[in-house]
Amino acid sequence: MRAAAATGRKAFRRELPLGRLAVAMNAPTLLCLTLVLAYPIFYAGYLSFHKVSIRELRSGEYPFVGLENFQRLFADDLFWLSLGNTFAFVFATVTLEVLIGLAVALIINEKRVWLTRITRLLVLVPWAVPPIVNGLLWAFIFNTQFGYLNRVLFQLGLVDAQVNWLGSSNFALFAVVIAYVWRTTPFNILLYDAALQGIPRHLYEAAEIDGATGWQAFWHITLPLLRPVLAVTLVLRTTFAFMVFDEILAITNGGPGNDTWVAAWYTYKMSFQPPFNVGLGAASAYVLALVIGVIAIFYVRVLYRRVEH
Amino acid sequence: MRRLSWRRRLLLNALNILALCFLVLPLLPVVLGSLQSEKTIQQDVHALIPDQFTLANFRLILSGGKDKGLIFDQISYLPASIEQFPNAFLNSVIVASSVTLITLAISALSAYTIARMNLRWTRALLQTSIFSRMVPLIVLMVPLYVLFRGFGLLNSLGGIVLAEVGFLLPYAILILTPYFASLPVELEEAARLDGCSRFGALVRIVLPLTRPALASCGVIMFIISWHELLIPLILTNKPAFMTVPVVLAGLVSDFFVFYTLLMALCLIGLLPTVVLVLVLQKYIVAGLTAGAVKG
Repeated sequence: MRAAAATGRKAFRRELPLGRLAVAMNAPTLLCLTLVLAYPIFYAGYLSFHKVSIRELRSGEYPFVGLENFQRLFADDLFWLSLGNTFAFVFATVTLEVLIGLAVALIINEKRVWLTRITRLLVLVPWAVPPIVNGLLWAFIFNTQFGYLNRVLFQLGLVDAQVNWLGSSNFALFAVVIAYVWRTTPFNILLYDAALQGIPRHLYEAAEIDGATGWQAFWHITLPLLRPVLAVTLVLRTTFAFMVFDEILAITNGGPGNDTWVAAWYTYKMSFQPPFNVGLGAASAYVLALVIGVIAIFYVRVLYRRVEH
Repeated sequence: MRRLSWRRRLLLNALNILALCFLVLPLLPVVLGSLQSEKTIQQDVHALIPDQFTLANFRLILSGGKDKGLIFDQISYLPASIEQFPNAFLNSVIVASSVTLITLAISALSAYTIARMNLRWTRALLQTSIFSRMVPLIVLMVPLYVLFRGFGLLNSLGGIVLAEVGFLLPYAILILTPYFASLPVELEEAARLDGCSRFGALVRIVLPLTRPALASCGVIMFIISWHELLIPLILTNKPAFMTVPVVLAGLVSDFFVFYTLLMALCLIGLLPTVVLVLVLQKYIVAGLTAGAVKG
């Protein structure tokens, strides 16, 4: 008895106090987060108030310019065009992701049909395709001369001349929307499917006894219970759609003209391609982060509060 | 459960076929494109199925541009990135594996402290992780480029790994924490009564039990790292350090690379993660739901 207590005490003495142990165990995380997340965020703020281009990068001295980067940014029509395109892109993709995601989740939730097993098996495949590959594959589909969209439409007898899809300023952004929605919707399907399986069956059985139609059951049982997961997907999909980059690069490269410039593309082009204006790029990135932050707070406030009641 | 009426069954089968078309049809052009020659695809611009199949594109890529075969014999110029592709593939494997292992090791420690130690600042760490997922990567890339330039970390696989680990850590913590919290505390307490230290209990008792969660988290980290374009694109400009997505991005609107060859490159680029998803779907589903629902 006494021996056991002694070893117990010994083990206890060997151990760091809880607080210090927690610090030690989190040291690598805190180091990484500081170096790659926290410091860069503040540093981006610093850069946005300084003149940083090729010459300054070489010399290592960044002269302070106050609000000049932001003034140039807000005076730049291309920035406003990019921001407008981003909002249109986010609105279109998030709407489609939620609607298609919900539809497919409801379809594969009926396990009495054998084919749902195949659909379930393949549901995550688009999500697994690398974004840049996704962009290139849709660029091939939409290609004027050799693309498969024109081939299919020709075989169906719907077109007789080849359509230049990506050259049309009205369609080009929508082409990127289609490609992006194809890759990202599986994530929503997955979350809705998990939530649907958590809804107890007896609720539907009771509704059926009360004479409710399938549509009424969906409207009064399924949808209210899906609200938390709908909120989560809205927040996540919105923030990610604001950052779209790979598909723009591969499908339109910002074109035709500047018609498909989006916010992340603007930052990239300004910072890393001539004229290499890193200060201006940092300023535009900060504005983008601010917009995302405001929208995320809005969503969390509005949707989560409703969910709690 | 009641049997479905034949009408409902027919409707649901039709809807399933529609869903399947949505999911897999866009991948067919990649396969068909990669299996034909430039000549075949140009000859008949209306055909869906080529009248001749060839593996020449793959032979050219896998031989690093050396095995030109009959089709590419005429072509005197090929971008250097075709020769670099096998090397880029290797770089991608190295980066994605290192990112996965390092992220798992670091995030498991943090997730455990958040789930078990219940300190105020570890809870704040969880909230920071949720918040960090919403920071646009492009915001980080501008300062990271300037910083890494100063540290001499541009054009090194280590720099790419470091940046990706930092970016993925919060997500890994979000995926792992609920799982650690769901394990019964009694197991650890029993181990500690037997003289195990807290850290010893974590390594000997808790971690073996969390193997499924570590697998979930690990495979998701691998996939995201394999997909990552922006980080390696901005941190490298020498072909020797490029990953697969960077090489592919470099071929956008390169008139010397025809779509048939490009689709073959794409197919090789998407195969690893698509196969992972098909084989390990159960783990990925568990990880993605765990990482999202609490967010």
